[in-house]
Amino acid sequence: MKASAFDYVRPATVQEVTAVLAENDGDARVLAGGQSLVPMLNLRLARPAVVVDISALDALKRIEVSDSEVTIGALVTHAALEFSQEAGPTFDLLRKVAAGIAYRGVRNRGTIGGSVAHADPAADWISCLAALDARLTLEGPSGARQVPAADFMLSSFTTVIGTGEFLTHIHVPRLSATAQWGYYKHNRKVGEFAEAIGCFVRDDAQGIRRVVAGALSSPPVRLFADQGGWPSAIDIAVLRAEVERAAPAVEGAHVHFHAAAVLRALQSGLAS
Amino acid sequence: MIQVSFTVNGERVDALVDPRMSLADFLREKLHLTGTHIGCEHGVCGACTVHFDGVSARSCITLVAACDGHDVKTIENYETDARMETLRSEFSREHALQCGYCTPGMLMTSYDILTRFPDLDQDGIRREMSGNLCRCTGYQGIVRALQNAFAAKRNEG
Amino acid sequence: MSSTGIGVSVPRKEDRRHLHGKSTFVGDLSFPRMLDVAFVRSPVAHATLKDAEIDPEDRARVFIGSDLAAVSPIVAEGTIPGYIKTDYPVMARDKANFVGQILAACLGPSRAEAEDLAERVFFDYDELDAVVDAVAATGPGAPAIHPELPNNVFHRMEQGTDLSDLYATAPVKVTRTLKLARQAIVPMEGRGVVALWDERADQLVVYSSTQSPHLVRNGLAEFLRLDQNRIRVVAPDVGGGFGYKAILHPEELILGFLALKLKRPVRWLEDRREHLTAGANCREHIYTMTAFGDADGRLLGLDADVVVDAGAYSIWPHTCAFDAIQAAGILPGPYQVPRYHVVTRTVATNKPPIQAYRAVARPGACFATELTIDALAREVKREAYQVRRENLVPAAAMPYKAVTGKLYDSGDYPKSLDIALGAIDLTQLRAEQKARLADGRALLGVGFATYTEHTGVSTSVLAPLGTRLMPGHEQAAVRITPDGGVDIRTGVQSHGQGMETSLAQVASEVLGIHTDKIQVTHGDTALTPYSTGTYASRCMIMVGGAVADACDRLIARMRVAAAHLMQRAPDELVFRDGAFHADNASMTVEQIAYIHYFVPAELPEGMDSGGLEVTGGYRPKIDTGAFAYSTHVAVLEIDRDFATVKLRDYVAVDDCGIQVNPMIVDGQVWGGIVQGIGTALYEEVRYDETGQPLASTFADYLVPGCGDIPTIRLFKTETASPFTRFGIKGVGEGGAIAPPAAIVNAVNDALMPFGAEVAEVPVSPSRILAALEAAGVAPGLVAGARP
Repeated sequence: MKASAFDYVRPATVQEVTAVLAENDGDARVLAGGQSLVPMLNLRLARPAVVVDISALDALKRIEVSDSEVTIGALVTHAALEFSQEAGPTFDLLRKVAAGIAYRGVRNRGTIGGSVAHADPAADWISCLAALDARLTLEGPSGARQVPAADFMLSSFTTVIGTGEFLTHIHVPRLSATAQWGYYKHNRKVGEFAEAIGCFVRDDAQGIRRVVAGALSSPPVRLFADQGGWPSAIDIAVLRAEVERAAPAVEGAHVHFHAAAVLRALQSGLAS
Repeated sequence: MIQVSFTVNGERVDALVDPRMSLADFLREKLHLTGTHIGCEHGVCGACTVHFDGVSARSCITLVAACDGHDVKTIENYETDARMETLRSEFSREHALQCGYCTPGMLMTSYDILTRFPDLDQDGIRREMSGNLCRCTGYQGIVRALQNAFAAKRNEG
Repeated sequence: MSSTGIGVSVPRKEDRRHLHGKSTFVGDLSFPRMLDVAFVRSPVAHATLKDAEIDPEDRARVFIGSDLAAVSPIVAEGTIPGYIKTDYPVMARDKANFVGQILAACLGPSRAEAEDLAERVFFDYDELDAVVDAVAATGPGAPAIHPELPNNVFHRMEQGTDLSDLYATAPVKVTRTLKLARQAIVPMEGRGVVALWDERADQLVVYSSTQSPHLVRNGLAEFLRLDQNRIRVVAPDVGGGFGYKAILHPEELILGFLALKLKRPVRWLEDRREHLTAGANCREHIYTMTAFGDADGRLLGLDADVVVDAGAYSIWPHTCAFDAIQAAGILPGPYQVPRYHVVTRTVATNKPPIQAYRAVARPGACFATELTIDALAREVKREAYQVRRENLVPAAAMPYKAVTGKLYDSGDYPKSLDIALGAIDLTQLRAEQKARLADGRALLGVGFATYTEHTGVSTSVLAPLGTRLMPGHEQAAVRITPDGGVDIRTGVQSHGQGMETSLAQVASEVLGIHTDKIQVTHGDTALTPYSTGTYASRCMIMVGGAVADACDRLIARMRVAAAHLMQRAPDELVFRDGAFHADNASMTVEQIAYIHYFVPAELPEGMDSGGLEVTGGYRPKIDTGAFAYSTHVAVLEIDRDFATVKLRDYVAVDDCGIQVNPMIVDGQVWGGIVQGIGTALYEEVRYDETGQPLASTFADYLVPGCGDIPTIRLFKTETASPFTRFGIKGVGEGGAIAPPAAIVNAVNDALMPFGAEVAEVPVSPSRILAALEAAGVAPGLVAGARP
């Protein structure tokens, strides 16, 4: 399983990256940690003319923390988040999600930006970032724009990233010290992609309540959006009904799986 | 073709490479370092594990072109390394290998976790080793070998 | 007794090179001017092939079926009654019969470039309806895959006695249909071949990741139509085999042909996608079992129908009938079954050709029988282990002639079950099970499986089949070296079972020489005696016996020398601990060797002119086999929301007769069990109705990892075989036999209160939910469900 031939460039600046991407208009792929892209190259499922390695952009490898926000560079690895030292619920949630991604070798090299941009609906970050109401910075030929995480993914492996654009930063609003959160990932085998994800954030000090169901075959879905973001009861029947309403494409037993994943996230997060 | 320059097992390597070539293939075919094995080429089985800038990484899904300026270490680097020797003797004592194909990858991941974690219980060991597949041993000996290695680390203080 | 003889867990000699990354697997070999091969493989399951479109510039580096006219099709012949032989072209010519079948070989200076070339080769074809269901394949209107086969049946067999009276009169009768999914074998190292022409030796040399180099040599000679002495086959280090690498493969013939034609080394290394698609080739059986019992569950008879989904071709040398024949012979299992009847059908489908994966049909047969025993127990409302125990062949009955005609040599099956029971606290587990049922926690289940296993099959067992897999006596060559060490040469090949160590231990036991001074060479047809290879848990029995025989003969020869040199009568000397002893005099092997090699003038007349180099041989006098046996217990939880299974405890009580290296025995059982867990919980390649495999990477084909399995608690007993040298029985496969049965019995034990039963592996969440739904428990209500 060897990749088909491609050109390789490793630009030194953001502008060079966007220029190459624009020039190749859809026939270029961005390489971050490679954990998602290179398997597809090897399987010849991706056949770009050019691979644009952004790993020289050191500025994208930083985690910056202010009182209100955490800014995570797209090239920050899952392992860097897994072993981050910053205290508080925001980082607790980020650490929990990071630690459950795939395997040690993948966490060491895979990046949050690469994972999010790849937009596999079963991946971990996108559901978590939707619950945190993160914003994503995309750099393009005509400058930068920000997109809410909840709007970023259009469908499986498809995002709002346009010609010449790439993801550079993820901005996560910080939760209060008293915020509660929960994250539950259901899979059949350790390290596999999720079959159902439940994630919630409840920060009464900031009036935030979000419950997200993820690993649908489509973008993650915010539950109870019309009801203040919170279920009337922490109850499987209530959750099932909402999954059916908010994600009608989910069928059969999977309705229960998604409801149960959300329930377990709620139960574990609210207990502590 | 792309010019790359990086270190492999402490030695500088300069080469002109096909951009699509994986680090695993480069190590095996061009440098004849055949201790790193290929088991899946899509980043699941872990047989190809090397150390990339000091952390375990799958060389089958690492482009050699992307190694420019970086540091790569393979199993061959650790001939006399004390920590690796501890792992080797535990692997042999606990029968943690049979056919040997997954073994270098197992050792490279074991080395990573033994280094980065002060301690791990059995669940932690199983979780951390879950990205290295073995078809022969049933993982029993591998888990015991790592339990012994962590116990020795605890005793060292 | 030697410190490194039989029964000692001698550390493995193999470990050193593997731990240092200094193994030599076939992919590690490089030769000047070597070309890489990538195959064009059929994208369709069933089609008539038309012309290939190949760019003229590429034509010289592409080989299609018509270019290989000089290579005979593989034909697996046998005198098996009811078996019809068919051709297996090494490269499809007029017809493609499974997705992944080789259509062309493309050459390039690298694998990447060979794959680029393969993408430029197009075959025109007319797609035919695919045969995907083995039962439907035998029905009217099913497309015919081979014109010679009536209703797509390669082989049909019926054995036993008519049981219609039991259908009418038996107090208790249970019928179940049990299914195993199609799997891929997934050794960590795929197959691989490097073929080259050796000018100095005037030979085709084929390096292959194979378990049976001499068998491959036979096949290369037969189908390339070469004299055997023009061929050498070398197995380097082999990274797992489990049966996948025990047969002749088309790729070996194709690469041999290319090496002869091009006079350049050529290489092919199987990649994982090739393996999971073209190599999805084992375990797919359907068993319909009817057990007749009395009111207590004592077996009165067993009626079995076996369908083997054999894929598109019959493999060489075993033939595709191997699985069915074995199933028929072992379905009665470790039980006293007074009457038995079995019908088997081995059916052609448009899938990869079936191969014998670790334990062959025994996991399927054990699954079928053990689930049926549990069903019988439920029917008579008794604990399954009790019904099991009462039906097991007791120790006093050994050697026991089973209803199949097989002779179970020795063993205490009830004790095996008792030890397993003693390892768990069933009373406490039953209490917990009840509590969990009431309080909504994950369901708890306990399941048992006991099996007996026919190891060391030899001539009398395989002769009636008349195939090219025909072991006779096994040979081993042993030499005492000039410095008093030992060289052993054997035609088998290790692929993880450590025979460089364990065979050395056998020699160490007999000769009293330390294994550090004993070297085992294997796997090279130029260097070793003939052997049918490593398969069927035979090596320790057969090669161990041959090594011991050779050592015995060497001792006899050395005795003549020692007697002369020590001025004693030969029968006055006692051989012990590597030396001949008499009164207060002794002479070591090393001393005798020195004289033999460097001062032969001092040797007596009458010394065997064969010197200190002997080819010994062995076949048990009663060679009907040695029956290893085991009881497994699985304790598991079923998540009420997700229907996932989590193994909490797994116990195995194993008896493989006298153990040569107990540590190696442990490893074989652990490894087999985890493969069995894969069969039970995770592994399957499903096909759509057009014959497309739906798994092609490890994202779809799930293999157990470290985090998915519990610590296995292994208990062992040693009941010697009365038939084999040292009382050894085989152990390489056994661990894989019982897990599907024990695990699904445990699942069904957990689901029993709901009246739900699973009868298929892998027991995925969807199969558990389907079983619950069939019992009226709606999906998703498991969480709140009470029986």
